[in-house]
Amino acid sequence: MNLNMLLLLNEGGKLYQWLDSYVNMTKVSVFARGTLVTLELTLLSMLLGTVLGMLIALGRISRNKILKTVTWVYVWIFRGTPLLLQILIVYLAIPLMYMDFTGMPLRIDPFMAAIFALMLNTAAYLAEIFRAGILSIDKGQLEASKALGMSYTQAMTKVIIPQSVSRVIPPYSNEFIMILKDTSLTSVIGITELYREASRLASGTGDWRMVFIAAGVYLFLTTISTFVFSKVEKRTSRYL
Amino acid sequence: MNKNAHMIKVENVDKFFGDLHVLKNIDFEVIKGEVVCVIGPSGSGKSTLLRCLNHLERITSGKVYIDGEMVDYRVGDKDAMKIDGSKVTEMCSELGMVFQRFNLFPHKTALGNVTLAPMIVRKTDKQEAEKKGMELLKSVGLESKRDEYPARLSGGQQQRVAIARAMAMDPKILLFDEPTSALDPELVGEVLEVMKKLAFSGMTMMVVTHEMGFARDVADRVVFMDDGSVIEEGTPEEIFGNPKSKRLKEFLALTK
Ligand SMILES: Nc1ncnc2c1ncn2[C@@H]1O[C@H](COP(=O)(O)OP(=O)(O)O)[C@@H](O)[C@H]1O
Ligand SMILES: [Mg+2]
Repeated sequence: MNLNMLLLLNEGGKLYQWLDSYVNMTKVSVFARGTLVTLELTLLSMLLGTVLGMLIALGRISRNKILKTVTWVYVWIFRGTPLLLQILIVYLAIPLMYMDFTGMPLRIDPFMAAIFALMLNTAAYLAEIFRAGILSIDKGQLEASKALGMSYTQAMTKVIIPQSVSRVIPPYSNEFIMILKDTSLTSVIGITELYREASRLASGTGDWRMVFIAAGVYLFLTTISTFVFSKVEKRTSRYL
Repeated sequence: MNKNAHMIKVENVDKFFGDLHVLKNIDFEVIKGEVVCVIGPSGSGKSTLLRCLNHLERITSGKVYIDGEMVDYRVGDKDAMKIDGSKVTEMCSELGMVFQRFNLFPHKTALGNVTLAPMIVRKTDKQEAEKKGMELLKSVGLESKRDEYPARLSGGQQQRVAIARAMAMDPKILLFDEPTSALDPELVGEVLEVMKKLAFSGMTMMVVTHEMGFARDVADRVVFMDDGSVIEEGTPEEIFGNPKSKRLKEFLALTK
């Protein structure tokens, strides 16, 4: 029963004692906190980045010259510069620039800045993934849709994009894992996510095991993600 | 002749792909209820002609009318007139098209393929679309396959679903681009049978085909194209029994 588990976890319980002898429970809660922040950063930036990435992908394949160029430049910049620098630009350079030009201070919440930078970065990679997915669908599908009187938007949303989902999931899963790990870079602007919590604990207590526990948690999260995505991929390609 | 009797009318149409002159001053018409078969060697521009009718390709110059309405009009290189996009889409949905490679939607079941366009283009409600979809699947002999995905259907079955899908938009005209060319020989018959049934029901049809037997039995008129031009047209008896041009004679000798 669950109740037993709870009793065990209670202070003085066997499991607690065992855990505490290894890593004390305050450390466990520190890790839990860091893991939650890491997950929050990952999920929010991936969610927003997916929407932005899709729009950029549509721009990249559109016939409008301006859209094409603008989105090409976007991808070029965000894939061609380090994410670490992008995080600094959003958090540090932009407020300073604002100050220089307007003489007024601009305060950016570091968590917001982190999400924003991660989103901008992943959108560039996702755009290329989505573009490849859309272009991999046979041209005959768009033609058949048009011949049935569908507009370009209808054909995209009902025919082309649904078919590209299962093909896009493996590279999307890859990108998800990259971002999950790269959330650690936001520690430079003071976000205390999993990496920063672990490194603080390790240097504070001199306990080298902290670093390996963090590695274990990352490994656990990436493994679970890969598993979930491969399940979703199977589900979305049922019709093949 | 009464202009409205023309379901398709093509006037002085030229089409270039870059420097390649693919359609050369084509004049062409299809009358309501008529079944016209287009024959000719590969690369002669048959597919391009069909695709210019429903805007899958844009003509370089000339005029195209569908059911009396102009759907494409260009003179020289410049657009002489901007054509209302939504009107074109509407007109094009009255032209059904059946492709050589079926182009069914693989993520939809047979019934899903047939009901998708009516539901999203015509906003038909699901129940009604499915009722009609089932009737159409029945008419092509595939009611039992309603829940199968295309990947689980034979080529002949896929092409029959594709015909039902085109019919679901109540087209005034059906265009077929070599509908049996991608099929194993033993599956050709079932598709031609469905097409025959449609032809006898009074459907206006334009069929690009290599099935000379079908053209002979079903067509009201046969058009022979070569190298981007209409070389000869006439009744099946005239075309197959008494070909006039040298090129048609050579072509028929080759297909025998
Ligand atoms: N999208 C295209 N771009 C360039 N050339 C094309 C294109 N489509 C067709 N063609 C060329 O146009 C000519 C006519 O092709 P097509 O209409 O497909 O002939 P058919 O259907 O009679 O075999 C061919 O030479 C073909 O290579
Ligand atoms: Mg062809």
